[in-house]
Amino acid sequence: MSRAAKLRALAVALSLMWAGAAPAEPLRVSKSVSLRQAVDDLTLAAANHDMVLVKMQPIDTALVKRGFDDPHVRILFIGSETAVRWAEVAEPRLLNLLPLRLTLIQRDDVVLVLSDDFEPWRREFPDNPANLLLKAWESELKALFDDFVGQ
Amino acid sequence: MTRKLRSLFLVFALLWIAPASAEAPLEEMILTSTAQGRNIDAAVAALLQAIVNHNYTFVREQAIDSRLVPYAQEVRSVRLVYFCNFAKMNQALKLDPRAAQMLPCRVTLVETPSGVDLIAVNPAWVSQSMGNPALHAECENLKQDYLAILEEASM
Repeated sequence: MSRAAKLRALAVALSLMWAGAAPAEPLRVSKSVSLRQAVDDLTLAAANHDMVLVKMQPIDTALVKRGFDDPHVRILFIGSETAVRWAEVAEPRLLNLLPLRLTLIQRDDVVLVLSDDFEPWRREFPDNPANLLLKAWESELKALFDDFVGQ
Repeated sequence: MTRKLRSLFLVFALLWIAPASAEAPLEEMILTSTAQGRNIDAAVAALLQAIVNHNYTFVREQAIDSRLVPYAQEVRSVRLVYFCNFAKMNQALKLDPRAAQMLPCRVTLVETPSGVDLIAVNPAWVSQSMGNPALHAECENLKQDYLAILEEASM
């Protein structure tokens, strides 16, 4: 076995190992705004994509009120009636993802917005129509995030 | 020759480790139980009691399409109940802010002709792909709490 071939084999082995251990990643976007402004901007972006802010979960203030450290994290739930109706028809277990959750994490002057990670769900539902629905929601969120950054 | 053997050993070791690490026991996606013979209001009441009995705090209850349609048109046969334990929430967020993907805790109730299905996304299923063993251990504990709450609520 030549040295080059050995190196190739090692590279393949390492990449296999890395792929096995690589954590899945949700959609993410960041913007230099306050947490409050981020909530307003995301609400507007959701409205631009026919979605509604269902609930803002201020877990930062809820924890502080009970004597815990401020995690600088808030959760937004956004949804649309269409998403609910499609999930009811396509795969009722997808209702567990609705309304869609956005996690807002403030670090200094930047707010990082994360979606839930759709990858494990897509693996669980490899076939249509559930898989298509998940892809559609992910695309909508990507567009919403682009809108949020562009404001 | 020794170097060649060492390199080959390393490659085989790596190839052996990669699939082995992927063979960790896989979590089921959904935790579920059924409250036979109950209507959805009775099932929600039993769930709220079970939540309190396990040191969690009720956060809110809503229809699946709440705020998406006028109140009178909401589908009241599918309800979401949110709850949390603030100390556990604090601990999980300190370990990893991505724990917010499991917060607050939630059970979805679906009324069927024979009773009510109580359904929760398994937090350990969510955390197993996050690559944070400390958070995953917390989520394993959270899963046990979910199972106990679901069992009690459906008794």
